[in-house]
Parts: sequence; structure tokens; C-alpha cells
Amino acid sequence: MQNGLIITLPQCDDATEYLTYYSKLVTKEAEEKGIKIKEIHDDELNLKDFIKIINKLDYNFVVFNGHGTTSSILGHKSNVILKVGVNEELMKDRIIYARSCNAAVSLGVECTKNSNGAFIGYIFPFVFYMNEQWSAKPLNDNIAKLFLEPSNQIPISLIKGNSAKESDINSKKHILKNINKILRTPSEPDTPFIVEGLWNNYLGQVVRGNGSVKI
Amino acid sequence: MSGEKQGVSEKIKQLVIARIKAQMPPNLKLSMGFENSLTKEEMIEHVKAGDEQGAQIVNMHINFIKALTSGKLMKEVNSV
Repeated sequence: MQNGLIITLPQCDDATEYLTYYSKLVTKEAEEKGIKIKEIHDDELNLKDFIKIINKLDYNFVVFNGHGTTSSILGHKSNVILKVGVNEELMKDRIIYARSCNAAVSLGVECTKNSNGAFIGYIFPFVFYMNEQWSAKPLNDNIAKLFLEPSNQIPISLIKGNSAKESDINSKKHILKNINKILRTPSEPDTPFIVEGLWNNYLGQVVRGNGSVKI
Repeated sequence: MSGEKQGVSEKIKQLVIARIKAQMPPNLKLSMGFENSLTKEEMIEHVKAGDEQGAQIVNMHINFIKALTSGKLMKEVNSV
């Protein structure tokens, strides 16, 4: 297996647009570290192409952005690209971060069976609030940033050489710091919603498989 | 589900709806894993309907209230 990053970047609705924009900060970090990167965009985000890419490149680190269920992750629109009982064995011995709802429940478990790899994901929906006024410039949306920077911390910590478990812990600390920051500033009407959402992600984020593995 | 549990569930839904109506700014939208993120009005509709998205919004609220009232939230926040 080669040292490299495969990252899915769907842009089929406002939520995936945001995830893809924030992923630029992850790929920038990988570039700076000289890690090979394969970005997968909408036209390749289907099951057939995804399998082909994984088999051809055989990179050890995979980041998924996109909608998910307990047993699958989607690519472009409703295209399933990873599913229990279909192709989860392709994830064997890799490190995976899935910024997708609920995928750690079953998919994360199956991807790390008989594997030395790890799967970091969520057992709840991954949520974030966005400020509609900034939807055209997601990186300027200070509300979304409170959610998406801590989640970016997972792949960025891995790229910096931390283990899966250490990266999970770093990300969770970032969530708690953001909650603290929000609670210490004068209360705004959106404060309880933001704290509630951040707490949801904090509770739902888990590591499956080998927590000590590094890329 | 017992009548008592149904009553509690309905009360929680009403509480969540009242909170969203009263406090959520109209420029906020919630992304929670479905195709499009939800406006304030859409969140209220889903909670009212008691569908999957509505249930997730209610669960998120319950988990938060539990953490707040038990002291777990502040304990964790103060640990960093």
C-alpha cells in the first residue's frame, strides 16, 4: 500500500458544497507534507469509478465527504460508493475518515474487521449550522467554521503524524474549545443551537479498529 | 409505546418546536445528512411530522439537555 490520500469531494447540494470547500484546507496540508493526493469529484463519484481508483492507486488514507447511512456512504447525489456487503473489504488496512452521518455504526465496524486500519466517523448524524448569508463563500461562514474546523482537525492531525486515536482526541478538544468560546462570548440567539450541534458531533465521533495506526 | 411515554414524547416535541420558533435566527440552516440543509421552518415541520429528520432534531436536543443538567457538558468543556 502506498502513502497517499484519496478524498471524495461531492458538490451536489449546499451541505456537500461546504464540506468540499473546507476540504481544501486538508488537501493544502497534505500538499505541504508532500503526500500524494487523488481528489474524486462528482463525475467519478460512482461505485464503479471509486472501486477502480482504490484498486489502481492503493493509497493508505481515505477521506469521505458526503451523505451516509449506518451501512453506506454516498458519492454524487444518490450514488453509493461504499457499502457493507458490497465493497467494504477495499478499506482493509487503510485509515479512513468519514465525514458522513451514522457511517461508524455498522460500516465503520465492517471496514475494520480483520484489518490493521482505522475508521473515524460518527454514530450520530454529523451536523453543522450554516449562515445562509455566506452560502456562496463557505470559508467566510464563521458559524459553519465552528463545526468544520474541528472535523478537519482529524485528517490534518493524521497528516501531521498523529495516530487515529490522537487525531480523534485533538478534534474533540477543538470542539470543546469552540463550545467554551461560544459560551464565553455575549449570548446570541444562535448560541444554544450551535452548542447543541457541536455537542452532538462530540458525542457521536468514534474510532473503530486500530486507534494506534498512523499514515 | 405507553400513553405516558407518548405524552412525554409529545411534550418534548412541543418544547423543541417552541425553542426553534422563539430563538433560532432565520439566517441559520441546519445540515444533518440529508440532501438539503433545513431552514427554521423546515426544522419545525419535520419535528411536527415526527419523521426521521424530526426525530434526529429532537434526539440532538435531548442529548444536549441531559449533558447540561447532569453537568457533563461543563465538566468536559472545563477539561480543555
